[in-house]
Amino acid sequence: MKDQNEVEQASDVTRRNFLKGLMGGAGAAAAVAAFETLADNPAILLAQDAATEPASSGSVLSSAGEGGPVDVLERMRLELQRALQKSSLDRRWVMVIDLRKCVGCHACTISCVAENKLPPGVVYRPVIEEEWGIYPNVGRRFVPRPCMQCENPPCVPVCPVGATYTNEEGIVEMNYERCIGCRYCITACPYGARVADFGFTYNQDMPEADGLILGQAGADDYERVANFEYGKSYEREGRGSPVGNARKCHFCQHRVLEGALPACVTTCIGRATLFGDANDPDSLVAEMIARPNVMRLREELGTEPRVYYLT
Amino acid sequence: MAQAVATSDSMASGSSRNFKLRWTDIFIVLGIIMLIVGASGMAQRLTQGLAPTNITSYVPWGLWVGFYDYLVWLEVGSLLVFITLFYLIGFTKLKPIKPFVLFTGFTVVLMALIIVLLDLGHPERFWHVLLYPDFSSMITWMVWLHSAYLLLLTVELVLVLSGTERSESILKLLAYFSLPMGLALIIVSGSIFGVIATRPLWNTASLPLMFLISSLAAGSGLLTLLVVLFWPDKQSPDYRQIIQRLARLTSVLLAGGVFAAGVIGFTMLYQGSGNPIRAEGINLILSGPYAWSFWIIHILLGVLVPLIVMIVMPRNPLLVGIAAFLSTVTFVAVTLNVVIPVLVTPDLEGLATAFVDSKLDVNYVPNLMEWLMLAFIFGLGSLIYGLGLRFLPLQPRNEEVNHG
Repeated sequence: MKDQNEVEQASDVTRRNFLKGLMGGAGAAAAVAAFETLADNPAILLAQDAATEPASSGSVLSSAGEGGPVDVLERMRLELQRALQKSSLDRRWVMVIDLRKCVGCHACTISCVAENKLPPGVVYRPVIEEEWGIYPNVGRRFVPRPCMQCENPPCVPVCPVGATYTNEEGIVEMNYERCIGCRYCITACPYGARVADFGFTYNQDMPEADGLILGQAGADDYERVANFEYGKSYEREGRGSPVGNARKCHFCQHRVLEGALPACVTTCIGRATLFGDANDPDSLVAEMIARPNVMRLREELGTEPRVYYLT
Repeated sequence: MAQAVATSDSMASGSSRNFKLRWTDIFIVLGIIMLIVGASGMAQRLTQGLAPTNITSYVPWGLWVGFYDYLVWLEVGSLLVFITLFYLIGFTKLKPIKPFVLFTGFTVVLMALIIVLLDLGHPERFWHVLLYPDFSSMITWMVWLHSAYLLLLTVELVLVLSGTERSESILKLLAYFSLPMGLALIIVSGSIFGVIATRPLWNTASLPLMFLISSLAAGSGLLTLLVVLFWPDKQSPDYRQIIQRLARLTSVLLAGGVFAAGVIGFTMLYQGSGNPIRAEGINLILSGPYAWSFWIIHILLGVLVPLIVMIVMPRNPLLVGIAAFLSTVTFVAVTLNVVIPVLVTPDLEGLATAFVDSKLDVNYVPNLMEWLMLAFIFGLGSLIYGLGLRFLPLQPRNEEVNHG
């Protein structure tokens, strides 16, 4: 009880300091109003608050150690930098998706498409919309579905040529040049997280007339810009890979290993998608997956997904 | 077609080269027609890959995989039944039909391999399975066994056509090889589906065994059909005896297969099984939009009619031949019903509507292009078969048989 009082006092002190800071930069009335909002809203915490109170998944600001409030993106970025200092074998990349915070904007889906230059019919991270109940007792939620990066991936052993495998980062990836396109891995994935690239392009049926802005030629150029999956450069020309291959989400390994968060994480407007090294006990994702309201999809199959959902 | 027949007739009447039209030339004519009809489908496949098909990422296997399995059932089943009867049981009266069985198996295995090759996203990389094999995959085993089977059949066919005494002893040895190899191929082709834990209707230990039973039933029907079509002396008492025995064997295998499938099906349908997806899959086959393919094509035309004919009139070669034809041809409904309904039942509810695209759809009905490409392959097979029947010495030596 005493400890709790001390924590509350400390918390009050930091709030007061924060209020002073705010007053220095803006009008007092506005700052007081802002303070009241912040104080009433447990979603926004100060750094020291976060250190003394249980981390809230309702937060867009979080702790990064010393200093003021930090956007969880910045915290995750710093944690990512820390994780990259370690050996790849010591890291365990996980993704945490807070279903209560996902508003179903599909920004993650689209950013993934843009990041990986995905053609029509190829999507790595669709957002499933669920509705249930009978009026008036109804519910609705959005379930983003990236690759689960299973620790026991059913898609890997079924590949006849070893074109899909778990890399040393624990990420299930594709060797496009090896893949024969049998699509066995697609049938084996319990999450429907693999798709076939049938070779479509967005403007293949467009007339060749010049457009007002770019025209087909310009659009073609954009469409044929190389992606950088797996740290390589894949230009979309002819029927060469990745056309004809199975494709999947790879947690944006080409970004992560360069210190950038996956595209779906950075573009999530509600900070519903978190990413990091679960082997780092101080990381945000490690905190989140220790919560009682965590679940994984189709756990009964024993696939041990690295994507966790907060419900 | 009429022109082709007329040309053949004129050649026959000219008789300077002693050309005589045979009924087996129908395979050549049919082959050419199907090659022409299916050419556009094949052209699309070769130039546009799998894009023009109705295959999607959520239903990644369809018509072609179903037909591949069907052809595997036929080729392996007919050979297994023949080898068992001829070499193991010692039913040596079947000897005159041996070259036909081997040649039919060779043609069918070739067609099957071409179909599955063209079902790949990168068929030009098929050799990766031989060079970088991962034997934890059932497909690896299938490719290796199937390739070896084609090789074995080719050698057997060459030996049987050479017709020497020595070749007969080697043939016997190879037959003993091909028996476990054929069994393994069928079990592996069933296991490709059986090991997929996420597809409850496939993921049963009984599926590979059902593949074996089905293969034997389909193969027995094909063997019976081959005897009816190609037996050299249809007036001999052996002929009717062989027909009767094969009809009995086929009907036992058909009845056994239906019984086994029924037992498994009823178990899966049990409401309290706690596996509603599996029950949903079975219901889709039994009462879904394509239930007619199961009830009318497979059960009625493929099982009931042949069973009745073969039990009631086993000594009537014509009727037994028709029954065997029906049974053999309609087995394709089984493999299609194994492959497709399972895939159109989505893994995750709502996934199909999460991102709308024609290639992210759980609905699948094969389109014209898929049928046309299949027609091209069957045309190729039919042409090879017809040419083989005409030019290879498949008939017993010193015996001129006029099939009229």
